[in-house]
Parts: sequence; C-alpha cells; structure tokens
Amino acid sequence: MTDGGSDWSGKIGEVVLGATAADGGTRKVSYRVGGDDDLPFLGGCTSGHRPLVAYEICDDPGLWPQIVRDYCGDLVNDPASWSKAAEREYGADLIRLSLTSTRRRGFSDFAALGKTVHDVLHATGLPLIIEGSNDPQIDSEVFQQCGEAGQGERLLLGTAEAGRYRSVAAAALAYGHGVIAQSPIDINLAKQLNILLKEIGVPLDRVVIDPYTGALGYGFEYSYSVMERIRYSALKGDQDLQVPMISAASDSLNIKEVREAEPAIRDEMAVRWEFYAALPAIVAGAAIVVVRHPGTVKALRDAVEKMWPGEVTANAAQGA
Amino acid sequence: MPLKALDIYKLLPKKNCKECGDPTCLTFAMKLASGKGDVTKCPYLDEDAKVVLGASTRPPIQLVRVGVGELRFGVGDEFVLFRHEKTFYHPTALMISVSDRWTADEIRVQTRRVASDHLVRVGADLRLNGIAIRNDSGSPEAFGKAVAAVEETATHLPEVLMATDPAAQEAGLASCGHFRPLIHAATMETYPAMCGLAKKFGCPLVISAPDLATLSDLSKRCTAEGVARLMLDVSPSSLADYIPAATLIRRLAICRAQPEFGYPVFLDATRYGNQDTAIALGILKYASVIATETLPPATLRAALTLRQNIYTDPQKPIQMNPGLYPIGSPGKDAPVLMTVNFSLTFFTLQGYLESARVPCYMLIVDTEGLSVLTAVASGKLNETLVKESLKRFDVGSSVTHRKLIIPGYASPLSGRIEEETGWKVLVGPRDAAEIGEYLAQEWKS
Ligand code: B12
Ligand code: SF4
Repeated sequence: MTDGGSDWSGKIGEVVLGATAADGGTRKVSYRVGGDDDLPFLGGCTSGHRPLVAYEICDDPGLWPQIVRDYCGDLVNDPASWSKAAEREYGADLIRLSLTSTRRRGFSDFAALGKTVHDVLHATGLPLIIEGSNDPQIDSEVFQQCGEAGQGERLLLGTAEAGRYRSVAAAALAYGHGVIAQSPIDINLAKQLNILLKEIGVPLDRVVIDPYTGALGYGFEYSYSVMERIRYSALKGDQDLQVPMISAASDSLNIKEVREAEPAIRDEMAVRWEFYAALPAIVAGAAIVVVRHPGTVKALRDAVEKMWPGEVTANAAQGA
Repeated sequence: MPLKALDIYKLLPKKNCKECGDPTCLTFAMKLASGKGDVTKCPYLDEDAKVVLGASTRPPIQLVRVGVGELRFGVGDEFVLFRHEKTFYHPTALMISVSDRWTADEIRVQTRRVASDHLVRVGADLRLNGIAIRNDSGSPEAFGKAVAAVEETATHLPEVLMATDPAAQEAGLASCGHFRPLIHAATMETYPAMCGLAKKFGCPLVISAPDLATLSDLSKRCTAEGVARLMLDVSPSSLADYIPAATLIRRLAICRAQPEFGYPVFLDATRYGNQDTAIALGILKYASVIATETLPPATLRAALTLRQNIYTDPQKPIQMNPGLYPIGSPGKDAPVLMTVNFSLTFFTLQGYLESARVPCYMLIVDTEGLSVLTAVASGKLNETLVKESLKRFDVGSSVTHRKLIIPGYASPLSGRIEEETGWKVLVGPRDAAEIGEYLAQEWKS
C-alpha cells in the first residue's frame, strides 16, 4: 500500500508563551505552540505541540454574556480570583484577559489596567493572553500599560489588525511579548498583516494568527475553511503564514440557540455550542482555542486527550 | 490496484459483438485494464459488473444509498479532501442506536423520537437519518424482534443492522431486508455469508477490519463476491487513529490510487468513551455514516448545525431571492424593514418579526448572500442598491408612508440612503432580537 501521504516543504514556526523563572518570568509553565510539519493530527506527536485551551475572563463583566455571569457568580467581579479558579477548578492551560473596561465610552483609567494585569499575574501561574482595547485613540496607552505590567512574562498581546497594529506591536517589542494578528476570515489579509508586522520589526516567532472565528451556525464554516487554507499554504511553503493560529468564537454565548435555550439545559447548550466550534478549529489547525464557559474547558481537554497520540502530559508544557 | 485484463474479461458478456467498438471482448478488456476504455460502451454489461469495473468511470467514492422512500439517504460521491477545494456533497448521516436488550416499548419510544426529532435552521430541515439496531444480546431471535419493533413503529426510517453474526443478520433482514438497510459488518471471517445476505436483499454492506491493509483486502474480496455497494469501517482503536485512517482512505480514493477504498466511511461513535468528540471528528473528517447513542438536546442542535456548516457550499452562501416579503397581513401603513439576502440573516430576522406579531414587510435587497456587516464592509450594501430595490419591488405602491427601517449595523449608510431615495430612514436595533420592542416603541406610520 502506498500511503498517498503528504509531502510538505513548509513547517509552522514555534512561538513561546509565558516565561518561567529560568527565563526571567514568574510563570509556573511556559508553552511552545506551533512546530507542526503536517496537517493537524496526521503527524503524530513528533510534529507540533498539543493544542491549548485558554479560558477567557474580563475586567468589566457588564459587557460579558449573562450565562457566564450566572454560572461564575461573584468571581466575575474579581479577575484575580477568577483566573485562579480558571487554573485550579476549570483546568485551563492558559488565561485570556479581555479588558472590556476599555470599551466603555470615555474610558481613561489606564493605571487600573496595569494593576489588573499585575493582580492576575500574581494570582495564577499560567501564561496570559491579553485582549486590549479596540479603539485606536486609546490603544497606545492601553498596550503600554499592559506590556509594562507583564514585562518579562512573555504575554500574548492582542489584537493587531490591518488598520491598527503599531501600538500593540510597539508594546510587544518594548517588553518582550507576542502579538495576535487578526484578519477577517481571509487568507490574503492574514498574510498581509504578518508582512506589515515584520516590516516594523516584529519577528514572526512572536506572532499568532487569529483568522477571526464566527460562531457555529453564524459564519463558522468560513472560519473553518480559512484556517484549513492557512495551514495548507503554510505547509506548502508560504513563509508569511508559517505561524500558529488562535481561534475564539467569541459570539458563541450570545447567539439565539444559547440565549433561548430552556433554563434546564442552557449551560449544556453553551458548552456544546463552544465545543462544537472549538474542536473543529483545532482540527483545522488552531494551536490555541479560547472559550468562556467553564464547562467547555474540561470538555475540550478531554477531547484533546482522546485525540492526541501518546502521553498528553509529556507534550503539554515544555520549558522555553 | 487496478484489475488485470483477464479479471475484467471474466466479467464481460463474451458476445464479441463489436458494439463497444473493439473487435472482441478481450481487446475491450485490455483497453479497460490500461485505463483507456469506457465501460459504458458495452451495452450488455449487467449492473454489478458495471459497478465493479466502473472504478475509472464512477465517482472516486461510490454513491451508496440506504433505505427506501422519502427518508432514503445517499452518501459518498465526494471529490475533494478540503471543502474549500469545491464542496462536500452528501452530509454525514447520523444513526441513533437501540439495543436488542431493550424492551419493545423502549425501542418504540426511541424510534419515534428519532423519526420526529428535527430542527429548522436557515430554512433547512435538519434531522437525524435513522436507527442503528445493535445485537448486544448475541441472540438472533432477540435481534429479529428488535428489528421488527423498529419496523412496526416507523416503517421507512433507514436502518443499520449492527450484528457480527450472519445468523442474527438474517433474522433481522427477514423483517426489513427489502427496505435496504445497511448491514454492519462483514469481517474477514464472515464476509462470504454477509456478502450472500447483501446480494440476496440488495443491501449495502459495511466491511470492518482492524487495519487498512486487511480492509483493502476485504474490500477486494467483497467486490469479487459481487457486492458493489460497500462502506468502510476502519474501527480505529482510539480517536487518535481515526483522522489519519480516514484521511488516508479519502486521499487514496479521490486520486483513484486504490479503488478498493473508493467507498464511504462508517464510524461507530459509541466506542471511544467520548461521543461528542467522535461525532465532531466524523463530521469534519470524512465519515459518511455515524452510529451514536441518544443525543441530548444540546448535542443534537450543535452536531446538526456543525454538519450543516461543513456541508454548505463554500462558493455560494445560502441565499434568498430578493423581493418584498409580507409578514402576517400587512396593511398600507405597515412598517417596511430592509435587510440583506443572506438566508441566515433573513430567517433570523423573520423569526423575530413573526414572534413580535406586528404585520410588516421585509424588503430583501440583493447583497449576493452577504450578511449585513459584511455587505456594509465590502460596499455591496449601498444607497444605490436600496434605491433600485425600492423601485424594482414597487414598495411605494404597497405602503402609503415613506419610511424605511434599516439594520442597526447599516447606520453609517442612513444619511446617504435618505438622500438617494427620498424615504425617511429609521435606524433599527443591531440585534434582531430587539425588533419587537423597537417596533412597539418607535413605529408610527
Ligand atoms: C461569515 C463572515 C464573513 C463571510 C461572509 C458571510 C456572508 N454570507 O455574509 C466572508 C468570509 C465571505 C466574509 C467576508 C468579509 N468580511 Co466578514 N464576517 C463574517 C462574520 C464572522 C459573520 C457574519 C454573519 O454571518 N453574521 C450573522 C448574520 C445573521 O448577521 P447580520 O446579517 O448582521 O444580521 C443580524 C443583524 O444585523 C440584525 N439584522 C439583520 N437585518 C436587519 C434588519 C433590520 C431592520 C434590523 C433592525 C436588524 C437586522 O439581525 C441579525 C441577527 O441579530 C462576521 C463577524 C460577526 N460576528 O458578525 C464578519 C465580519 C462581518 N466581516 C468583516 C469584514 C471586514 C469582511 C471583509 C470586508 C473582509 C475581507 N475579506 O475583505 C469581507 C467582505 C466580503 C467581500 N469581500 O465580499 C468584519 C466587518 C467589520 C465592520 N465592523 O465593518 C466582521 C465584523 C469581522 C471582524 N470583526 O472583522 N465575512
Ligand atoms: S460490446 Fe460488450 S459484448 Fe460486445 S464485444 Fe464489446 S465487450 Fe464484448
């Protein structure tokens, strides 16, 4: 039998998330993501690293899905305790902190952001992803604060987009962090943004592509395919796409199916809705998936354990 | 491996009538063996021989149908590895299990549920495809009874009979054989008897082997027995092995390297202690039929939605015909709400409008299937399009007022639409869920 197998010339580059004491940080673990030289799950554990599950918290729960607020209770008012729960109870591999407070009109309390980042870093030993503002007017100050507060910790800072990437890139370069590069479901735009980042001096081993993920049933099919195409082109040899991907179907908990579910199964609906988009994203090539319902974290970790050949723990956390 | 000329010759009618354009059946066979012939040129070939020989003319993955009547489904007939290369054509069939250890009542309840469970999304009716009946008892008699209980309850629901013992299969087929159930599964040990049953009843047959080399051998043996409609159960021992095995089969099939793999893949999702994972992997990676335990309501919705997403044509979003659509029985003073012709958008808005119980019109403009934000971002939705649509669908004669409600996400266009059309523009909410409240508070004709 021939194996009809793939013969790729390219390989996904590796990005390091989190710095342990050995690297001048305070994280308990650090991860390498990427490194694959075949389509997802075809190369076995010799190629690439186990996909990671990030749990997303925020600093202003007023802008967060009701179902998470109901489920997590008071924790949502304290990012530090919430991140601790994500690590110890929900079982997340890493934390994504979304600075929703910056979305309020007239936001100006930049010092508070630095403190929140600091508190979360203190509360958890997991690597941290930060989702900053989405307003170019305040980007510079927001990313400066976060970057500085996490200096030496190898954060992943987001989000850079085609029209606004300088502030986040500057903070990443100044304080030694990685950058999330988001483009709206389009392989060429993803490539262009990476080129822009390279041009201003961000090396690609600090970049993670976010190809934008629509919720299941609300555009997910486009996201799934664009991830497959990015992975394929990278393996074919397109160097500007040879970086790991992150997928966050952030709208999942706001969609009709979840909002209108019977109270008795609402949490289950939320978990399944996130799961059935995150797992496919992993199969399409995402190295990190981000979810918001605590129940989804465990469901995904179990799934990855079933799918990952050999010892999961051995691949989980390799020191940087 | 292609068939040799002599193997092919054995299957030909041996009339030497020259109608195929070749002087003899043997020369025609040699041509077919070299891949240059076309089997359909011989008018006297019987159906089975055509399928066996047709690896070069049939689709790289054989179309296999299960069941009869309206609920019959077909799977296979796929051409690509990635959906973006073209599209996936035949959605994964989900078959829910019953056990022959259950009471007849339990079986009936489950069967009824499977026959009626469905959900409507984006105007499409999404349903489960049938029942998998399992011979857990080991007894042919119990199996026959279980199959009969399913049959009584829902006659035309497609079935897969899951029994490794040919005697049990025979007992099951006695009551449903002519409804073309799927037989699961022939192994290296049982294939002669299973092939006999598949031929007797004209049923498709799943073959199962522990590794791909054995599966390939078994596939050839079954086609040699004259069974043309096969499915492949790779029975991986863990989910880690499923993606590699299913991908390899798909690759070899679509490049026609090994026609014995040119059949749909069957996956038993109950074997891995993590059914959701198995279902998702199956839908994404080439399973054509999946047997599962009962799906809880949340899983049912999510899994059917994933299947719908993966099997929509990536080249053309599901679209509505542009036009003026009445909701309820709108009068001349009813509100007109403008939106795009992406069907997800249309059906979402329509659902909320219907539950709001305010008679109104939906004006659907042609954004070539793009959603509101996407159409605004790409410039497809603009004031000229709105003006043309008002005119084209003669909205002005359906209502006496001149007010147009536009989606909240289209608010950047409000001024330009007003200027261009002369209609007063009201910016609606961003989220269609709020439309009822909005109309109640804001609408005055
Ligand atoms: C899937 C998707 C695509 C698909 C297209 C899908 C399609 N058929 O439209 C593809 C991949 C092709 C695509 C392309 C682009 N996309 Co796009 N896409 C999405 C995504 C993920 C989902 C869109 C969707 O299906 N929404 C669901 C439907 C139901 O929403 P909707 O139509 O808006 O309807 C809702 C409301 O508007 C309201 N509503 C609808 N009608 C009406 C009417 C009235 C009267 C009222 C009151 C309310 C109302 O009700 C609905 C439910 O609440 C969104 C992100 C998002 N979450 O929205 C990005 C998004 C819309 N895309 C975006 C962009 C930039 C693009 C591109 C320009 C990028 C590019 N590649 O060049 C292109 C443009 C298209 C082109 N070049 O032709 C941006 C838009 C940014 C902005 N704010 O302007 C978004 C928001 C992603 C992002 N954050 O960057 N996209
Ligand atoms: S048409 Fe058929 S039967 Fe006639 S010569 Fe050709 S192969 Fe033989």
